[in-house]
Amino acid sequence: MAISAVARETVFALRRQIAKIEGTLPERLQAPAGAPLDADASPDLTIVRRGLAAALPDAFLPVGVDPLDAALSGGLPKAALSEIHGLETRDAGAVAGFALSLASLILKQAQGLPVLWIGTAEIFREAGFPYARGLQASFGIEPEQLLFSEAPKLVDALWVAEEAARMTALTAVILEIRGNPQRLDLTATRRLHARAQSAGRPVFLLRQAAEPEPTAAPVRLIVSPAPAVPRETVAGPLAGSIGRPAFTISIGKSRTALPGQFTLEWNPDERAFDERRGEEKRERAKDPVAVVSLPGGRKDPAAASGAVVAFPAPRSSDVGSSATGGQPPPGQRAAHFGPRRAG
Amino acid sequence: MVSHRQGNAQRISALDERAEALHLKRDMGIADARAMHPSIDIVEADPEADRRLLEGLADWCDRYTPLVALDGADGLFLDVTGCTHLFGGERAMLDDILSRFLHQGFDVRAGLAPTPGAAWAAARFCGDRIVDGGEEEALLAPLPLAALRIAPETRASLESVGLRTAGAVMAAPRAPLARRFGATLLLRLDQALGRLDEAVSPRLPVAPLSVERHLAEPVTLTEDIERLVGLLATTLKTDLERRGEGARTLALLLFRVDGAVSRIALGTSRPMRDPRLIQKLFHERLAALEQDIDAGYGFDLVRLSVLAAAAFDMAQADLTGEVTDDGADIALFADRIRARLGEGAVLQPVAVESHLPERAVAIIPFSEAPRRTTPPKRPDRVQAPKTIFPPERPIRLFRAPEPIEVPATEMPEGPPLHFRWRRALYRVTRAEGPERIAAEWWRQAPGDAAASTRDYFRIEDAEGRRYWLYRQGLYGGSQSAPRWFMHGVFA
Repeated sequence: MAISAVARETVFALRRQIAKIEGTLPERLQAPAGAPLDADASPDLTIVRRGLAAALPDAFLPVGVDPLDAALSGGLPKAALSEIHGLETRDAGAVAGFALSLASLILKQAQGLPVLWIGTAEIFREAGFPYARGLQASFGIEPEQLLFSEAPKLVDALWVAEEAARMTALTAVILEIRGNPQRLDLTATRRLHARAQSAGRPVFLLRQAAEPEPTAAPVRLIVSPAPAVPRETVAGPLAGSIGRPAFTISIGKSRTALPGQFTLEWNPDERAFDERRGEEKRERAKDPVAVVSLPGGRKDPAAASGAVVAFPAPRSSDVGSSATGGQPPPGQRAAHFGPRRAG
Repeated sequence: MVSHRQGNAQRISALDERAEALHLKRDMGIADARAMHPSIDIVEADPEADRRLLEGLADWCDRYTPLVALDGADGLFLDVTGCTHLFGGERAMLDDILSRFLHQGFDVRAGLAPTPGAAWAAARFCGDRIVDGGEEEALLAPLPLAALRIAPETRASLESVGLRTAGAVMAAPRAPLARRFGATLLLRLDQALGRLDEAVSPRLPVAPLSVERHLAEPVTLTEDIERLVGLLATTLKTDLERRGEGARTLALLLFRVDGAVSRIALGTSRPMRDPRLIQKLFHERLAALEQDIDAGYGFDLVRLSVLAAAAFDMAQADLTGEVTDDGADIALFADRIRARLGEGAVLQPVAVESHLPERAVAIIPFSEAPRRTTPPKRPDRVQAPKTIFPPERPIRLFRAPEPIEVPATEMPEGPPLHFRWRRALYRVTRAEGPERIAAEWWRQAPGDAAASTRDYFRIEDAEGRRYWLYRQGLYGGSQSAPRWFMHGVFA
């Protein structure tokens, strides 16, 4: 009995090694209920689609939002290149914020090692240089845990990224590139991906204003900003205030997930993601714009007419399938903003 | 023949043997020379180029001694104390210098003496002469006054009283000489005779440690040079270990066969002595400089010097013999990036006590960042925060705030309703603010205090992007109209 257990352990280790060499991503599937001996004998292993146990449980970085994690079959791969796209350069705040919140999630588990952010001089000029005070306040990343590398040319940035991707002394590497340069092709991304795999560290490739093109990254997420909900106070939401940062994430490419859209909200205090609920969305639609502070002694006019909704949202979306994250399609969302009611 | 402008006339500043054979002389007017020999070829003097050439020669002379000093516009001092035996004695060294210079196409005069003054005189007035200790007086006595390195005016007045050789000056009583011709004359005399010390100040700092290898066959390939660096670094390691130090600044000197010298310096973030790592760093540096270094006919001398060293902390290895130090890994990584891409390639932010957003974080090169020895502090939940609502700060900040066009604001003190930034129109749906950030009055000139006060607004546009804007100046004030700027981007 003991011998067979040892032998199985060896076989698992070898399979894991093979999976690593082949670059196949272990995909977490539900083990069948009447499972063969593997399922309960080794609960710490991930079952791959082919029925092999090959991945360690910490191969994935769970985002912390169940529908998105389920769609990505466990989260973002930790030892891999992940593409995070922004549609326009002016979305750079949301794209960088999402990547940094992922880095913050990793740092929450294991403190200490720094995050390296590589960019070309062009992107730092166009989208702004990372601001350590803001990163500290929003993502809990201390200035000591940050390293920046500003390369004059894309070739140099790619070289730095390749050198950094093979290091185990970094928490994560963020490479920020603008547009679709010729140099960042399938080969270049494959090199990055292979190094990230062997080092076991994530490389986030932020691409501002880029068209999706074939790369070696197993996952591509498209991030765009989402309107924030008002700040919560004791007396309810504070009208006209801008609350926690929110992102709209859509899965552009994944081997397991269906295309879907999710709205996540980053909680800087807990350093965790929350999923935006439908409740809060309606709350926001109720009171879309209040730039002016309300005159004293008058009730909130929006609250008085709060029951009236121009286009009621379909209830079915709230209980909808997990793949779409309970979100109405983007075209429908515009109706929620509704016409502004006179005060 | 080379001319230069002196006063109002072009004069001959240097000439070759054939011009001398035509009875032309230095300081003769160009017009006179042309009148005598219309066919002469005249080139304008270029003191800068001469200087550069002399610097290049001085670099090359580094192969004999680290103490090389420039002497005026046409001479070099080499302090070869303790170096001659490396070249097989004084005579062999002098011959080596002369023959190598001759092969490079230079006509050199050299002299070797115990004092700089005597060597100067020997080189300029005797040529190729070695003076032993105590022979300075005998050397100088028959030489003209110019051999004493004194000003032409002093020389002229000495000649006018009949003192025409250095020996005559030595024989004359000292007190009247000092009274009449100043202290410089006796100073120069004493220095030449070795009664007073004269320091030769080297043009480059002398490296505390350096190792070199003379090559019988010149090398041209970068790989060979890298391998040589590895070998030299191995030799260097024992010296560094004996001193308990590691290198902070390293320089690699490549002496080309035809006299050009390439100097490649690099710095390290931490003291370093491992030959493998040193070789790795030079690999990056050489790769970056591939275009700039011309091997030509090859390098026949390779020298590795430690320009700056610091105390080296020994690390205890575990049983497998591996030292796992993430900090060292990062330092090495940063050094390699720096070796290839330059000083500012790896940056680290450091918090600065300031309330001005752009000053609150300083971005400094990684090698200069202060090292924290203790591990980062865990977030302490018991300790109350300093401010209950810490001000929101953007995650990206533009290096220079970008001006935006704001057509109108709802209230003079309020946020804008629309703005135009980078030619795109943005509609503001919500705004928070203002947060007033005044300039640091203790840093600015008095008088412009009001103009640079900023009111910051955190705004969200119709598509959910969050920005940080500020207004400089106030509406309706006595100053010019306020201006709006985009300063940062929120997540």
